[in-house]
Amino acid sequence: MRVLLLVLCGAVALVPALTANNVVLSVLTFTFILGILAVSFNLIYGITGQLTLFHAAAFGVGAYATHLSMAHWSISFWLGTAFALGCVAVVSLLLGIVCFRFRLKEFYFAVVTLAFAEMIRLGVMNWHSLTNGSLGINFSLKPSVWLPGAGALVIEGPVRWYYFSLACVVVVVLAYQLVVNSWIGNAFKAIRLNEDVAASLGLNAFRYKLLSFVLGSMGASFAGGLYSHYMGFVDPHLLDINQSLAILSMALIGGTGSVAAPVVGALVVTALPHLIDLNAEWRLLIYGLILILTILLMPQGIVGSLRRLRKHA
Amino acid sequence: MMQLIAGQLINGIIVGSLYGIIALAVSLTSGITGVVNFALGAFMLVGAYLTWHLNETYSVAFPFAVILVMGAVALIGLVADVLLFRHTRNNLINGLIVSIGLVSVIVALVHMTWTSTPQNMQPFVAGVFTVGGVIVPKMKLLMGGVLVSIVGLTYLGLTRTWMGRAAYAYAQNPEAAALMGVATGRLQVGVAAFGAALCGLAGSMYATLYSLTPDIGALYMLKGVEGALLAGIGSVIGALFGGMLIGVAEGLGSVFLPLAFNDAYGLLMLVLVLLFRPAGLFGGR
Repeated sequence: MRVLLLVLCGAVALVPALTANNVVLSVLTFTFILGILAVSFNLIYGITGQLTLFHAAAFGVGAYATHLSMAHWSISFWLGTAFALGCVAVVSLLLGIVCFRFRLKEFYFAVVTLAFAEMIRLGVMNWHSLTNGSLGINFSLKPSVWLPGAGALVIEGPVRWYYFSLACVVVVVLAYQLVVNSWIGNAFKAIRLNEDVAASLGLNAFRYKLLSFVLGSMGASFAGGLYSHYMGFVDPHLLDINQSLAILSMALIGGTGSVAAPVVGALVVTALPHLIDLNAEWRLLIYGLILILTILLMPQGIVGSLRRLRKHA
Repeated sequence: MMQLIAGQLINGIIVGSLYGIIALAVSLTSGITGVVNFALGAFMLVGAYLTWHLNETYSVAFPFAVILVMGAVALIGLVADVLLFRHTRNNLINGLIVSIGLVSVIVALVHMTWTSTPQNMQPFVAGVFTVGGVIVPKMKLLMGGVLVSIVGLTYLGLTRTWMGRAAYAYAQNPEAAALMGVATGRLQVGVAAFGAALCGLAGSMYATLYSLTPDIGALYMLKGVEGALLAGIGSVIGALFGGMLIGVAEGLGSVFLPLAFNDAYGLLMLVLVLLFRPAGLFGGR
């Protein structure tokens, strides 16, 4: 397994050297960025067991806050990201306090987070002076990173974006893995398995659910900043219900059992429509069929099913 | 001003009855199968297009078209339940995802069959009523009447017939109901088909009043879920009132606030109800 993983890592690192195909690079770049989104969602849903439908809103708010702070105060991408992370942390903290204080669980938590996400989307759609409404904003600002030896490097072009987004997803996955492996992660899992028992053993379920919700939403905000700068525009579609559902399906297709598995789901959801050259209707049809078949045939997701196969073999 | 408010009030009640019938379908199916089926909105979409198609291409008279469409959509709901939702009983998340997948499939098929060009159908009854300066199209009144009486009949069916009482019993305690001789498998499939038929009816009514595009299902589904949760899952008459409450809030809201906020009222009420009265306005306890 270790060897396989190493080979996989090597292959991923070498993709730009092996292919000059921009479609492949852009599909993988999208996979990494949306992978961050799916992984951060899975911290809240797969690890802590709280089905949030606020994630698309966190993604969209992150995208808007990163860009708007950069454009209005002419600050760098990283300061803009920090500002966006702060914004999303505050919003998700407030929403989390309301939801968890009122002990909303499962479906009711999902519905209330969805309702707040929709209200934020309506706000973004109609605050024309700031967000330009449903038309969105086009921009050409790019992030830059400082590399030892190379100096400040502006991230543009498919190859640089590929490595940049790869580095980002690796850092985010490792950071979440660190959290999940610590006592905090144990508290998250205890809440998912049985909140009442966890609480009766002295665990402050409210505090840990809130922490998980805020940490996960901040990941979505980071993904939003990356996504909008890769695309070069922001529009209210980022906050759509369908976006939340796409995130949920990425996590479920990849597998909710581990931190990194949702990246595989992100790959499936972004790559499959490109593998076969089809028009929009057929893509929608195939997307729907994938969702249905994954849930009915592989309820543990791709990674979970592979693991089970290995155990039986 | 008073006329405007009165007009929006009546309009809100009638549009709200359309939300209410979907809320009823949501409420019944989720009460009995344990899954909030988002495909109900897509069933409404299919119902609307089928009605228009029958009426336009085969010039089937509207009342017959409605009956045919309800039967056809009930059949779709039945097949979907047997093929898909039977495997996700009482598993909310899986049922949700499968239903979303089904929505994608249905919307894609509707796109392919009828394209995304907006379609309009002749209203079944033309003309308007004018009462004290308030103008209401006759078709809207007819729709409101039909929908309210269907909800009434459903209520009677659930409280006065053996099958209806079996459904109530099942919702309260599935095992005890099975022990008392309720064919629970058949009950679930039946309720799923009935919910689909209600959505088909909603679609037919929608088709006579508004233009058809392949994306109407999602919006009405959302209002239906809002209405059902406002009322409390399992409350039949409540679902209708929940839908009407949203309709009226939207109607009156549009008088005082920009139209852009229309979709927020239902959400706001929903959040307040779920926070302070999670069983719903009409739910017990």
